[in-house]
Amino acid sequence: MPPADTEQTPLKTPQVTETKAAFWGVFISTFVTIFLAELGDKTQVATLLISAESHKPLTVFIGAALALISTSLVGVLLGQWLAQKISPETLDTLAGILLLIISVGLVADVIGL
Amino acid sequence: MSFDWNLISVSFITVFLSELGDKSQLAAIALGGSSSSPKAVFFGTASALVLASFLGVLLGEGTAQILPEQLVKGIAAIGFALLAIRLLWPDEES
Repeated sequence: MPPADTEQTPLKTPQVTETKAAFWGVFISTFVTIFLAELGDKTQVATLLISAESHKPLTVFIGAALALISTSLVGVLLGQWLAQKISPETLDTLAGILLLIISVGLVADVIGL
Repeated sequence: MSFDWNLISVSFITVFLSELGDKSQLAAIALGGSSSSPKAVFFGTASALVLASFLGVLLGEGTAQILPEQLVKGIAAIGFALLAIRLLWPDEES
């Protein structure tokens, strides 16, 4: 991920650009990675099946969207809760290892397919 | 158009259960706990999932034809690996 370079915008105070750039850097990297991972995921299939059978895709989508927002919220809150229980270094290492496992899982998916 | 509440709850429960422990939620936990801006992680994760699900409902089976699944998953794998390396990198200055 290219580091968010804040030097080029001397006008704004560094802190403001820092948090803004940090926010967008994290947002984009999270969005792209999870969007791509999710495209081929089984959740799609579940949503498809229900929408096909019910002929009301919008209603199905609303239910699915609410569920996805809730699981994301639960995930981030759980992560934050863990962050209070575990030291940052350990959490970073555990988080890094977990993300590597997910990455290897995806590669296995691709090769296995 | 009568609002079909049980259809909403069926799709909510189905998707919620299938997402629990799914890689996107694990990523949300990992990133949410270790990121400098957990809000960005939440918005990034939620919008990615909703958009992917919207495409699923919209395109139906067509999604697979348009986006070769293996390529998409391969890029996602690289994305997760990059996120992991950024966390595991020893001299993380921020």
